[in-house]
Amino acid sequence: MTGISALGKPRAGRGMTRRWRHRWAVLALAVITLIFLVPFFWVLSQSLEPTAEFSRNVPTLWPSHPTLGNYYTVLIRDSFSRSILSSFIVAAITTVITLVVGALAGYALSRLPIRGRGLVLGFVILAGFFPLTAMMGPLFDVMGHIGLLNTYLGLSIADLIYTVPLTTWLLASLFGQIPMEIEEAALVDGASRLGAVWRVIVPLAAPALVTAAIFSFLLVWNDFAFSLAFLQTANRFTAPLSIVMLSQTKYQVFYNLTDAGVLLTALPIFVLVLFAQRRIVSGLTTGALR
Amino acid sequence: MRPRPRHVFSRARRPKNALSVSAALVLAVALSACGSSGGSSGSQISASTKQTIVFATTGLGAEAQATAAEIKAFEKVHPNITVKVQQLASTSNDAYQQVVHYFEAGDAVPDVVDADTAWPASFARANWILPLSSDGISPGVLLPKARASGTYQGKLYAAMWYFNAEGLYYRTDLVKQPPKTPQQLVTDAESALKADPHLREGLALEGMKYEGFVTVFIDLMGAFGGGLNPAHFDTPGNLKALEFLHSLVYQYKVTPQAVAGWSEQNVQDAFVSGQAAFATNWPYLQSLVNAKGSAVIDKTGFVPFPSDNGAGVATVASDALVINAKSAHRAADVDFVKWMLNPGQQINRAVTSGDPPSVAAAYTSALFSKAPYFRADLNVFKAGVPRLVSPDYLQISTDVQNMLSSVLANQTAPAQALSQTAAELASLSK
Amino acid sequence: MTSTSTAIRRVTPSTPPRRWGRRSASGKRLGYVLVSPAVLVLLAITGFPLVYNIWNSFHYFDLLNPTSHRFVGLENYRQVFSNQTGLGPAIEHTIGYTAVSVPIEVGLGLGIALLLNRPIRGRGVARSLLLLPWAVPTVISATVWKTMLDPQTGGVDYVLSLLHLPGAHTTWLNTSSLLSWVAILFADTWQVVPFAAIILLAGLQGIPRELYEAATVDGAGAWRTFWRITLPLLRPALLVVLVFRTLSALMIFDIIYALTGSGPGTSTSTLAYVDWNSFLVNGNFGLGGAISVVMVAIALIVAAAYRLILRPKA
Repeated sequence: MTGISALGKPRAGRGMTRRWRHRWAVLALAVITLIFLVPFFWVLSQSLEPTAEFSRNVPTLWPSHPTLGNYYTVLIRDSFSRSILSSFIVAAITTVITLVVGALAGYALSRLPIRGRGLVLGFVILAGFFPLTAMMGPLFDVMGHIGLLNTYLGLSIADLIYTVPLTTWLLASLFGQIPMEIEEAALVDGASRLGAVWRVIVPLAAPALVTAAIFSFLLVWNDFAFSLAFLQTANRFTAPLSIVMLSQTKYQVFYNLTDAGVLLTALPIFVLVLFAQRRIVSGLTTGALR
Repeated sequence: MRPRPRHVFSRARRPKNALSVSAALVLAVALSACGSSGGSSGSQISASTKQTIVFATTGLGAEAQATAAEIKAFEKVHPNITVKVQQLASTSNDAYQQVVHYFEAGDAVPDVVDADTAWPASFARANWILPLSSDGISPGVLLPKARASGTYQGKLYAAMWYFNAEGLYYRTDLVKQPPKTPQQLVTDAESALKADPHLREGLALEGMKYEGFVTVFIDLMGAFGGGLNPAHFDTPGNLKALEFLHSLVYQYKVTPQAVAGWSEQNVQDAFVSGQAAFATNWPYLQSLVNAKGSAVIDKTGFVPFPSDNGAGVATVASDALVINAKSAHRAADVDFVKWMLNPGQQINRAVTSGDPPSVAAAYTSALFSKAPYFRADLNVFKAGVPRLVSPDYLQISTDVQNMLSSVLANQTAPAQALSQTAAELASLSK
Repeated sequence: MTSTSTAIRRVTPSTPPRRWGRRSASGKRLGYVLVSPAVLVLLAITGFPLVYNIWNSFHYFDLLNPTSHRFVGLENYRQVFSNQTGLGPAIEHTIGYTAVSVPIEVGLGLGIALLLNRPIRGRGVARSLLLLPWAVPTVISATVWKTMLDPQTGGVDYVLSLLHLPGAHTTWLNTSSLLSWVAILFADTWQVVPFAAIILLAGLQGIPRELYEAATVDGAGAWRTFWRITLPLLRPALLVVLVFRTLSALMIFDIIYALTGSGPGTSTSTLAYVDWNSFLVNGNFGLGGAISVVMVAIALIVAAAYRLILRPKA
C-alpha cells in the first residue's frame, strides 16, 4: 500500500521513513488490539472464578482458586451447547437468505438502471432502523397467528430485519466499486450477461460477499430482543438468551456464569472470522492480478 | 461455465413466491387484527378430564427444583392433569414484556402465570386475569399482608406464592442490639465504621435506578410515617425519608456514592464479605450469610427496618400466581394454585429453595426446626408493608425512581424533587 | 498528479444508466426483479408494525386499559413536540450523543482500517480479534461493562489504580451525568469501532493498488495520497458507516438501559428509551407509536442528508 513503489525498491531516505512508519504501524495495531481485548481478559478471569469467591468482593486480576466449574455448569447443566447450536442454525438460515436477497438487490441497485434507486435504497436502509420496541408487539401477534412462534424459521425471518438492510447497502456500495469496463469487456468477448456476472463479477465480489456474510452472521448471532420475544422453551433458546436467562435469578447475578457464556459464544465467531477472512485476503489477491 | 441457474428460472418464480409470502402475511395481519378474541371462555374443560395446563414461571437452581417437585407431587394427586412449564425471563422487565405479549394477544395459554406482585392490578383492570376468590381459593389462608398485596378492588386476584419482604440485616458482632429508630441506625453505622477498619459501608442499600430502589425507599417512607400514596405524595414523612436518604451519603457518609450502581447482588456481596455493617435486603440472603465462604457466619441478624414509631417496616414485594382469563382449563388451574398454597408444599418449597411460605398455616414448628431463621423472617413479615396496589404502579415506580436517582446523585434537592414528583404522580391518578 | 488523476478517472465507475443504453428496458426490468425479494422481505416484516404504529399514533391506546381506547388525532404528536413526557431533554441528549460519538467512532474505525490495510504479519489474526467486541450481544456487553465500571470491584477501577491514573474509585454511573455519558460512550465505542473498521477496510481493499503506485511515481506524500485518493474512493464505504453509525446512535437503547437506566435522574434518557418506556412501562401504545413514527422520520432525514452531502460525484 502506501510506501510500496512500483519498482519495489525503497528510495534512499524515503525508505528509512517508510520502514519506521511501518514499525510504528505494527506497534499501533498491537496496542490497539490489546486495548480492545482487555475486557475479554477480565471476562476470562471472572469466568474462572468460583461463586464462593464473589463474597470476597475484592477485585483480583486472577482468581485465587481458578476453576473450570463454571464452564461445566454452563455447558452441561444448562446445556449451553444446545443454545450455541440454536444460534448457529438461526444465524445460518438468516445469512443464506440475506446473501441471496442482498446480493441480488445490491447488484441491481449498483449496476442496473432502475428508476428510483435512491428511494429503494432509502427504504431498505430505513427498514433497518425501525425502533425494535415498536415492532415486538405486532410481530409477536403475526408470528403467533402463522404458527411460527418458538421456531427457528420464525426467528430467522424476523432477524432478516437486522441483516438485509446493511447487507444490501454494503453490497451495493462494494459492487459499485467494480468498474463497468470489466463487465463490458466480458460481454464484448461474447459471454452472456449471466456468464459475465458469474465469471467476472462474482470472483471480484467475493471479498464483499464474505464480509457481508460475516456481518449478517454476527448480527443474528447477537440478537437478544427477538429471541426473548419469540422463543418459549429452553431447548430453543439462542446463546445470548440462554446467557441472560440462565445466569440470573430474581436477585442474584452470577457473573462468572455469564462470562463463561460470553466466551463460549464469542469463540465460534472468532474461529469463523479467522477462517473467513482468509477468503477475503485471497479474493483481494485475485483482484490485484487483474 | 454454465450460468447460475438461479437467474434463469427463478426470475419468473421469485416475484410470485415473494408475492405469495407477503400475501400470506397480509392475510395473517388481517386475521390477527380482527380475530384476537379467540379463546373466549366458552368451552371450559372440567377438572376431571385429561388435560395439560401451561404454567409460565421463572426460577433457576434451587427454586426450579422446588417447583419441579411441587409439580410432580401435583400430577401424582391429579393424574389427569399434566403441567407444562414455560420459562419466563428472570429479569422483571423482560418477564413483564413476555407476559404482556401473551395476554395482549388474547392467548388461552399460559394458563397460570407467576407474576411479580406489581403487575396483577393492571392485569385485573384489563380483564386479563380472573378473581380467585370466586373460584374457591380462600384469601384467608394467606398471611394478611400477602392477602392485601394481591387484592384489587376488594377481590383477590393474585395468590402470593411465597412471602418476600425487605428488612435490615445487621452484624451482631458490631452492634449489641438492632437499631430501633432510623437515627439510631445512623449512629450505629458511624460507630461501626470507626470501630472496624475492614468495613467499607455503614449501610449498604440498593441505589441503582430500578424497582429495588423504590422498595428501599418504601421502607424509608414507612420509617418516618410516610407512604407511597400518589394522590398525596408531598408529605412531611416522605420529605424526612428523602432527606434521610440524601444525608446517608452526603452528610453522615455511612453509605458510599457507589450504591448508585448497586442491586441486590452488590449489597449481598458487600454484606457477606464483611464489608458492610448494615444492609437492606430480602430473606433469600438468610441462607447465604451462613453458607461456606461467607465472612459473616453466625454474625448476622435480620429485622424490620427501624421506624420512628418503633414498629418497624418491611416492604412486601413477591411473586404471585394469577390465572389467565382466557384459559380453557379454569378448574384445573384453580386446583393447581390451591396445591401451591398447600401448607405441606409451602414447607417443602421453603426448605428446598429458601422461599418463605406465604400461607399462615405453614409456619409450624416443623418448619422452624428445619430452618430456624424463618422465625426471624416471620417477625420481619409482621411489619410488612405491601407495595401500592395500583394499575398504574409501573409508571408510579418510574417517577419515584427518577426522583430517587436524582437525589442520590445530588442533582436535585430533596424538597424540590419531592414536590416535582408529587405533581407528576397526582396527574397520573387523574 | 496527472497520471494519478487519469488513473482515478479510469477506474471510478460511471453512472449505470449510460452504460445500458440500448438495453435499458430489459436492464430496468431485471433490476426491479432483482431488488424485489429484498424489498418484499423487509416490507413483510416491517409493514404491519409500521401501519399498526401509525394507526395507534392517532389514538389514545392504553394497552392495559382497553376501554379508554379512542381517536385523538394529532394529540400524541403534540405531546411529543411539547416537552411534556420528558421528550425534550431526551431528544437533546440523543442528538448530542450522536454528534459526539459518530465522529469518534468513525475516526477510530478509519484509523484502525488503515492500519489493517498494511501488509503486516498477523493482521488476519488481529482482524479476527478486533471483531470480537462486536461478537458479544449488546445486552450482555452492556452488563459486562457495568460490572467493569464498579468503583470497587470493576476492571476499569483495577486498571486505573494499577497505572495510578486519575479516575480510580470514581463511581462512573448514575452519580454524574457527564461521567455516565463518558462511560456510555466508552462502552459503545468499544463495541462499535470494530464494525466501522471492518467495513472501511473492505472499502479500502477495493481501491486498486495501481493508484497508490501512480501517486508514488508522482511524488505524493502519505497525507496527500490519503486526502486525494483514499478518502474520495472510500466514499461509498464511508457513507455506509456514517449512516449506520448515526442512525444506531440515534436509536441507542440497550447500553443505556443496562448501564444507567437513563439515570442519574433522567439525564441519560434518549429517544429510544422514552419510546421503550411508553410501550413497556406505561403501556401507552398511542404515544409510543407517535414516537416511533417520529424516530423513523428522523432516520429518513438523516439518511437523506448524508446522501446529499456525500453523494459520489459522477
